[in-house]
Amino acid sequence: MPATWYVNAPFPVREDIRQAHAAAWDRIARPGTWLTGAQRVAIAAETRHARTACALCKARKEALSPSSVDGAHDTKSDLPAAQVEAIHRIATDPGRLTESWQNGLGLDESVYVETVGVIAQLTAIDTFASGLGEPWRTLPEPVSGEPTRRVTPGAKHGLAWVATLDPADAEGEDEGLYPSGRPPANIRRAMSLVPNEVRGFFNLVEVQYLPGPAMNDFDNEYRAITHAQIELLAGRVSAINQCAY
Amino acid sequence: MNGGEADGNIPHGALLANFAEAVVSGDPAELRDVRTGIVNTLGAEALVDSAAVVGLFNAIDRVADAIGIPLEDWKAESTTDMREAIGVTAFPSGRG
Repeated sequence: MPATWYVNAPFPVREDIRQAHAAAWDRIARPGTWLTGAQRVAIAAETRHARTACALCKARKEALSPSSVDGAHDTKSDLPAAQVEAIHRIATDPGRLTESWQNGLGLDESVYVETVGVIAQLTAIDTFASGLGEPWRTLPEPVSGEPTRRVTPGAKHGLAWVATLDPADAEGEDEGLYPSGRPPANIRRAMSLVPNEVRGFFNLVEVQYLPGPAMNDFDNEYRAITHAQIELLAGRVSAINQCAY
Repeated sequence: MNGGEADGNIPHGALLANFAEAVVSGDPAELRDVRTGIVNTLGAEALVDSAAVVGLFNAIDRVADAIGIPLEDWKAESTTDMREAIGVTAFPSGRG
């Protein structure tokens, strides 16, 4: 499957990245926990459309307050309006999202989290391609089938705007979702209402950032850039995105 | 703050910060120049690893902000001065 990924890239791409990106593309195409493959691919297409072609998103991004600009999103999917609003705002202006905005969408929390998961995986891959000067890869064809509709027992409200799974409640199928021996970072808990989105996204984290044990191993370097250079890049991106996490 | 001033006393920090800025802002001409700069200075492997990090954190920021997760207390305490210095606490997501 990864055989065709980055074969014509101007710079050699590590095999683990090629494998992880091919796997992510496959996940986007397949039925998820609450969404069909067609809905997941539509979310990916809508994300790209929001970045490149939505006049409302552009006007809101430039406004002092996004809520001061009315209008309709330029959309290219049949997704519900609330989901389109979520996709466009997360894709184009994530630093000004609020809990009241999220609550006001009226989207099922699990559907919302799975939508975030698809946007996140696509964003990680598309941004990487842009960095190398590669065109964004054509989206996959959806795979037919039904979502699992597996409810996450033990997920509770309190940490974030949506329910999340505390490590102490990660049992059964969810055992092993978090690293053992230390509390998970909140970013790892963020999408735990839909555990498969955590697993998929952290597959990308391991190859695009660092595997867990390497993150705090400052005696050794694992990439062609140092820990300090990695953190500088991460911090700069977050500052540009106005993300305080 | 612009990338050119934000090297953090890290080798080639300004170049890397400019790369992050060019990728996220999507300026093709600037991106071409800084990409060439990284390859010539740090090598092609470093460019690939830098693009990977920028891509990942462009996604992580969206997860964090869309889900509304708070910064861990220990991280907030250990980075208070740095967060004040770069203005992170003024961001909407940094006020909680």
